[in-house]
Amino acid sequence: MDALIHGLVSLFDLHLLLLIFCATIGGVIIGALPGLNATTGAALLLPFTLTMEPVPAIATMTAIYCSATFAGAITAILINTPGTAASATTCLDGYPLAQQGQAGRALGMAVVASTFGGIFSVICLMLAAPLLARAAYHFSPPEYFALTLFGLSMLASIGDGSAIKNLIAGVFGILVAMIGVDNLTTVERFTFGSYHLYEGIGFVPVMIGVFGISELLVQSERLHLSREVIRMKSVELPGARDYRDSWRAILRSSGIGTFIGILPAEGATVASMIGYNEAKRWSRNPKLFGKGAIEGVAGSEAANNAATGGAMVPTLALGIPGSATAAVILAGLMVHGLQPGPNMFTEQADFAYAIFWSMMLVNLLFFVVGLRGARIFARVTLIPVEVLWPVVFVFSIVGAYALDQSMFDVWVALVSGVIGYFMRRYGFSVVPLAIGLILGGMLEQRLGQSMVMLDEKWWLMFTRPLTLLFLVLTALALFGPATWGRLAKRRAPLDSTGE
Amino acid sequence: MTPPTDKPKLLGQCERWLIPVLILAFCGATYWVSTTFKKMPPILKRGIQPSDFPQLLLLLLVFLTLLMVWKDPVRVRDRLMGSTVGTIALFAGFAALTSIDFFLALGVFATVLSLFWGERRVPVLVLVGLLVPAAIFFTFDQVFEIRFPRGLLTSIWYG
Repeated sequence: MDALIHGLVSLFDLHLLLLIFCATIGGVIIGALPGLNATTGAALLLPFTLTMEPVPAIATMTAIYCSATFAGAITAILINTPGTAASATTCLDGYPLAQQGQAGRALGMAVVASTFGGIFSVICLMLAAPLLARAAYHFSPPEYFALTLFGLSMLASIGDGSAIKNLIAGVFGILVAMIGVDNLTTVERFTFGSYHLYEGIGFVPVMIGVFGISELLVQSERLHLSREVIRMKSVELPGARDYRDSWRAILRSSGIGTFIGILPAEGATVASMIGYNEAKRWSRNPKLFGKGAIEGVAGSEAANNAATGGAMVPTLALGIPGSATAAVILAGLMVHGLQPGPNMFTEQADFAYAIFWSMMLVNLLFFVVGLRGARIFARVTLIPVEVLWPVVFVFSIVGAYALDQSMFDVWVALVSGVIGYFMRRYGFSVVPLAIGLILGGMLEQRLGQSMVMLDEKWWLMFTRPLTLLFLVLTALALFGPATWGRLAKRRAPLDSTGE
Repeated sequence: MTPPTDKPKLLGQCERWLIPVLILAFCGATYWVSTTFKKMPPILKRGIQPSDFPQLLLLLLVFLTLLMVWKDPVRVRDRLMGSTVGTIALFAGFAALTSIDFFLALGVFATVLSLFWGERRVPVLVLVGLLVPAAIFFTFDQVFEIRFPRGLLTSIWYG
């Protein structure tokens, strides 16, 4: 309870409040710009937080996370292009509403649903994260190893790519994490005699490369595309009828989003898809979906913003990122010398609660910023790509350099960017690569500790109930979707013939 | 810029097989490198040898790649566009220019990229190629106290 109050009190600092306000506005702009999203924004911002204290640094990154996730709705509704992948389902009903001259109403609902979903998830975060941390406090290396493995197995189902390609990208990320001196034995691995590789490849330049530079190359394919922005007079708060139609969808999606966010590696994109589908399934007017249903906007937006708080639960309590942006924030915590995990709630509880309160504040801030400023932010979508992306490149390169003032990191960012682009081109998501890179070292360390603890009898892991549970969950995450899909296919012809 | 065109079948087939072959070649080479790692005596190995985990991962990568070829082969959407190839070539130009001056390389790259992508307005090019890099340079220098590597232009400022 003390930490809860101390965390809140630490926010009453004019400098910090101003920083959170600026980051919220920055996040809304980033989210509104097609091609830029919360993950890229957080990765680009990370090097600029190096001179800050941990609370302002991480609060700034979480502010970008929450506000950029909301702001994807602005472009989804006004130009039928989701500012972030998590807003893709918002296009389905938001844009038809805008075409009917109700852009302000759709944006108003997006603001209200996002705020509700965000606040709901932060409350869950405040309650769930310390409980999860307390449970994890008693974990031994085998449990941690199995849990990290489970977190990595969830990579199979992220994004819209194939499970096999996601896993290949994840394993590649873990392999990259093997470069440098082995922490357990101090043996050099894959360094090829270069002192630059002695401490391994840094998270930050790789993230800047795979999220920022690779997106620049993706944008270079889209120079011929033109955008039509639908004009609107102002953003309206939803009316009584809108609330009556949508409150169930908002509430349901907030729960779904928070739960999906808590699952390791699953983020706002999956949450918004499920939130939207469930809103449609339970709606009294499902036929209106896709043609301008306000419930569709509410269901999608409440879910994607609820996933932000949910994703921070495993990130802070277990050190396993709940989403791609949470992975960047996790890298930020490590860069600032903080160790996420159960100890965070005993040794750095004030810090953890300060972050929770700052997320709560950001959700309230973008409610005001979204209602008052959406019209202005909508204009940033008009910035031409040939102006925006050279500027993003300059920020990316300087950011990569700033971390260690090393030109080697600049080359790492550039090479990662080109590799990331080709990965995306051939259907491999770059998110598993980033998460694999962060968790790779941890996974190996915990495997080594487990082997020492179990006297090198790895099969004894199966005799530990919690380890076994996580390993079963891992198997389900890897093979469950394919098995269920096959079973469903087999049942479908039987059902259709009525047998 | 020309819009993407349909890919010739032959090239698509090549890329479909090229990616798994590249991954498998990478696995083979990396596995060989991992066999050169120092072996630790049993008392110091702390559970696993330094080469064990990377080798396990490489075997997993080979298995997943073969599974990909069988179940979910690489499909190429469209031809690699000239604008993308050109942008990657500009990266090489940027890398070469950094040996003269980092700040200069940033400014020149931003201007040329903007021009290459179709921007023709001089004030905008000045904004992208000069004002933005200068603003970032001075912010880093004055606020974060981070110095750019010395070069032709930065040495004038640093003295």
